[in-house]
Amino acid sequence: MSGGLRERLLRLRSAADPQAEPAAAVKPVAPSASGAPQDPPAAAGAADAQTAPADPAADAPAEAEPGHPAFVRLGVRTKSNAYGSFLLRTVEYPLEHRHGRYALGELLERAKHLAPVSARQNKGNDSALRLPVEPERLLFLDTETTGLGVGAGNVPFMIGIGWIAPGQGRFVVEQTLIRHPGEERAMLAHLLARMAERTHLVTYNGRTFDWPVLVNRFILNGWRRAGPEPGHLDFLHPSRALWRNTLESCRLSHVEEERLGIVREGDVPGSLAPELYMRFLNDGDADGLEGVYRHNERDVLTLAALAIHFGTLLSPLTREDPRGQEVPEGAEELYRTAVWLEAHGALDKAERLFALLAAREEAQAVRWWLPVAARYKRLGRLDLAVPLWRRAAERAERAAVPFLDAHIELAMHYEHRVKDVAEALRLAERALELALRRPPSRSDPLRARQLREALQRRIERLRRKAGSRSFDQPAGPEDGEDDLFALRQG
Amino acid sequence: MNPWTGKAATVEEWLDMLRSRPEMMANVTYWHTEPARPARTVPMPEELDDRLKRALASKGIERLYTHQASSYRAVREGKHVVTVTPTASGKTLCYNLPVLQHLLADDSARALYLFPTKALAQDQVAELQELADLMEANIKTHTYDGDTPPTVRQAIRNAGHIVVTNPDMLHSAILPHHTKWVKLFENVRYIVIDELHAYRGVFGSHVANVIRRLKRICRFYGSNPQFLCASATIRNPQEHAQRLIGEPVALVDDNGAPSGEKHMVFYNPPVVNRQLGIRRSSVLESQKLAALLLKSGIQTIVFARSRVRVEILLTYLQDLVKHELGAKSIRGYRGGYLPKLRREIERGLRSGEIRGVVSTNALELGIDIGQLQACVLNGYPGSIASTWQQSGRAGRRHSSSVTFLVASSNPLDQYLIQNPDYFFGRPPEEARIHPDNLLILLDHVKCAAYELPFEAGEQFGGEKLEDLLEFLAEEKVLHRSGDRWYWMEQAFPANNISLRSAAQENFVIIDTTDGHRVIGEVDRFSAPTLIHEEAIYLHEGVQYQVEKLDYPEKKAYVRQVNVDYFTDANMAVELKVLHVDREDRSGALLRQYGELTVTARPTIFKKIRLRTHENIGSGPIHLPEENLHTSGYWFSFSEEAEEGMTANDMQMALLGLANVLVHLAPLHLMCDPLDIRVVPQVKSTFSKRPTIYFYDRYPGGIGLSQRLYEIHDELMAEAGRLISGCGCLSGCPACVGPIEEVGLLGKELARKLLDRAGGRL
Repeated sequence: MSGGLRERLLRLRSAADPQAEPAAAVKPVAPSASGAPQDPPAAAGAADAQTAPADPAADAPAEAEPGHPAFVRLGVRTKSNAYGSFLLRTVEYPLEHRHGRYALGELLERAKHLAPVSARQNKGNDSALRLPVEPERLLFLDTETTGLGVGAGNVPFMIGIGWIAPGQGRFVVEQTLIRHPGEERAMLAHLLARMAERTHLVTYNGRTFDWPVLVNRFILNGWRRAGPEPGHLDFLHPSRALWRNTLESCRLSHVEEERLGIVREGDVPGSLAPELYMRFLNDGDADGLEGVYRHNERDVLTLAALAIHFGTLLSPLTREDPRGQEVPEGAEELYRTAVWLEAHGALDKAERLFALLAAREEAQAVRWWLPVAARYKRLGRLDLAVPLWRRAAERAERAAVPFLDAHIELAMHYEHRVKDVAEALRLAERALELALRRPPSRSDPLRARQLREALQRRIERLRRKAGSRSFDQPAGPEDGEDDLFALRQG
Repeated sequence: MNPWTGKAATVEEWLDMLRSRPEMMANVTYWHTEPARPARTVPMPEELDDRLKRALASKGIERLYTHQASSYRAVREGKHVVTVTPTASGKTLCYNLPVLQHLLADDSARALYLFPTKALAQDQVAELQELADLMEANIKTHTYDGDTPPTVRQAIRNAGHIVVTNPDMLHSAILPHHTKWVKLFENVRYIVIDELHAYRGVFGSHVANVIRRLKRICRFYGSNPQFLCASATIRNPQEHAQRLIGEPVALVDDNGAPSGEKHMVFYNPPVVNRQLGIRRSSVLESQKLAALLLKSGIQTIVFARSRVRVEILLTYLQDLVKHELGAKSIRGYRGGYLPKLRREIERGLRSGEIRGVVSTNALELGIDIGQLQACVLNGYPGSIASTWQQSGRAGRRHSSSVTFLVASSNPLDQYLIQNPDYFFGRPPEEARIHPDNLLILLDHVKCAAYELPFEAGEQFGGEKLEDLLEFLAEEKVLHRSGDRWYWMEQAFPANNISLRSAAQENFVIIDTTDGHRVIGEVDRFSAPTLIHEEAIYLHEGVQYQVEKLDYPEKKAYVRQVNVDYFTDANMAVELKVLHVDREDRSGALLRQYGELTVTARPTIFKKIRLRTHENIGSGPIHLPEENLHTSGYWFSFSEEAEEGMTANDMQMALLGLANVLVHLAPLHLMCDPLDIRVVPQVKSTFSKRPTIYFYDRYPGGIGLSQRLYEIHDELMAEAGRLISGCGCLSGCPACVGPIEEVGLLGKELARKLLDRAGGRL
């Protein structure tokens, strides 16, 4: 039976393109006589960068460049070590090089402030927790892989790494490429050598993607990791914390454009990289890879810019540091930034941002007053919370779709702390009126009804209290409070 | 006092009452009694760890049954083992004993357990955990399946001594991510495969390939585990195990477990119209027997062939006994129920709170529902092995049990019930797999390449691996570099390959009567006929009408209704022959075997009144057609054979013959009746002659049609005997079909056609 199917497979096979060369990888690498490596074109936005043969590591020097004109243009060279060879491209940037808003050299000052991020992201990795965050010990890393997911069959064909070398006044980007899967070991060995000198991997989603994929490759090549796990600084998580609602997406390319002032022209999207690499594997044409190289190089630089950005956010407030005092424009971003700073121990800066948010008057800011006031209440700062609730309540009265939270908070405040039952009753009645003015909730009609009923009970109780007070009797149990509170919290 | 409504204390007493009722006994065509069997035990092995001995003793296990001791010995000798014993014979100890003994001595060792379903895996973990606790040993057992929370997965991967999972999970989650399971694969000592008989047909062929991949990964990590298998009774356990794991296997089958007396009663519903050969409905008779058993307090399981039957029987039974027992004490059980509901029913059965259950073969597997007292099979389950398995659900170690096989009017049932020797004289079926089905093999070569690059000289399956790899390389799925082949697609191959036909593509049933609630699911293949728009879908005895079928999204929206009918859908099938591989011309027949494509499209559905089963209306079904590329066998009749027959005669003769063959073929192939299809055509588009086609209902074929090509003569002889031996006048549901379908002359025409088929009888 399988004989028939075999024939069909063969028939199918003969229908396939007979020109396609199955194994581009066996294409001989002709040593090229063409001249010195060129600078990357200015369009890449890196006019001051130099592709350089310079190799700070002590291993064998880079060898002759492989033949394809694209490789020549890019300054790609063959690199060998004890495990074989692969292609290596090195680009160096002066520290003054600006990538968007930031100059790469700013890393030297800002990196150390990332310690709280490291502390949060490396819980359970004691060795990484003990290490300080030092600029020259960070390895920026971004891989291009043949597929999605972290399964055993996903191969990183390009590893882009970067680090700052203050001694040489340079920021170095290295990009490895394997011409066929057989070169993987040599490439991985190179990466491990680079990692050996450094403490943290700086990535965008590297904790759950790039690094696990690389670990797969070590294991598949028969290596077992010895020694400590690297520390991680993965900026996907902080980016989400700040921008998950305010930016359309938290993809790196979007974040850098919206927040780091980086504009990429003619960028090949990362999602195309696997296809372009397959094409290279199949027909040996490296032209398509040029875009992948550029894209990956920019990603590595952007990682440095992100590190500077978050390091700047976490830098202590000083008059001499105008950058460090910058404040996000949008109210939500302002709020989320403040929360993030607070979670990372930058209390002064967080306090300042919360206060700035409370002082904002624009309509979008009002809904963020409530969590800010709730925080003040939690901290026992009623002197700050009450005026904010007052202002919020005023705004609620005027809103087309009024919210009740400020009234309810104030009602509770007047009932329990100020013991002004009359004022509490007035606020609760206002809240009920506002509740009735709200258009019927389509998403959660049940909750809206429960909220109204809870308000009604509160009002009745307050009325009883107000009435009984005149007879000088103790107030009854405050039965209405918990459910109302719980409802609003839910 | 009516003895049937009083509570009978034992099955024996109940059977005595049955024997005293001539009107019931008239329907009993055969009564087989298997005597009680005493236990055969041997002392615990000397070397056994004291902790293990004490733990077993505290559970009342002081000695081992012979088969448990034999399998322990074989495992300790380093052999791959398959243990074959009936239901409830203590077979889990056959593998747990050597595994625990080893783990107690070597904390770094690991074991991987495979069960065909999640439910079985959970039972197993509970049992192992109990033993580990009794021993106060630090042996961690975990299930790893789709329900395992992500937070504990890592701990299981690194620290679980025994990981219990299913082949699907191994295929799509563990093997493709083997680098996360280094600890397991480096140290795996034992691989336990229980319910081995479940891995047959297409599913088994896939699983055999998953095991090839598993062994390949183990080799990569330097481990060489022993396989410990257990199976229900099949004819070829040893051969099956060897094909599945690709290694020589020692067989242990000296069952030493005791069992009570077992009665197997063949019951044929009475003929209500002799001329038309119509018998009373097997559903009604099964229901009657089950109700009598349940009313006497006997815990009973009823097996029905289809989901619809299950629901119909359930409705009837709940209605009948609701005054005595309450409807909640009779439950349904089948594939489409959600896991939570199933667990609840299993618990109720074990505790005895649920007195009766109506099930599809979903309960045939070793899910722990305790041992029931009586079993009613509504229709022959399709294989001897399945019949014994289902019957094994009733049977306690020290008291009697009874199984009724209630024959339906289909020819196979009638054949069996009238030829009990066929059933009792034959060993149960073989489990067949065809792991080298090219499409299945190719799928797993892809998965394997994803997991680990292939190297020149490697073996994988029975086909020439290098050809397959080259083929995949040209398809640009793999990339050849030197003498290695690497996975080079962006996609993750296991995601698109389901081990169970269409299991991945279930349609969910959403009840919109009050809000939106998912009440069940239906596999893709059944969807066109079960949940087309306007279909009546039965769930837990409640009727729902399908209001909207969202085919692309795989959702059916239903609303509760109360109508007096159910629905039955028709499929139109077109066949196109692609390639003839083998051919034989003899006498009036041209017989051919080859490849064909099948196009199936649901056409109309009928509304059939409950209880009377009369047709009360119909409507169209608008759904896309499905294509199947498979292997088939067909034979065409020459002009001589057709002589003197009108086209209409030929139509009836072919239909009659096909009706017989559709039931006989699975019997001879020993496969599930759903795996093989029969289609008669008066003028085949391929041969232009009257033709009967068979085809495998699986892409690429699984060797069934090929077998039919080989056993053609035997099959035809059997068909002739069945038609001649049937007592009806001119065709009945038990042979060529009812006269409404094949006409008044159907039986004679079919016999004539058979005779003319070259005098081969």
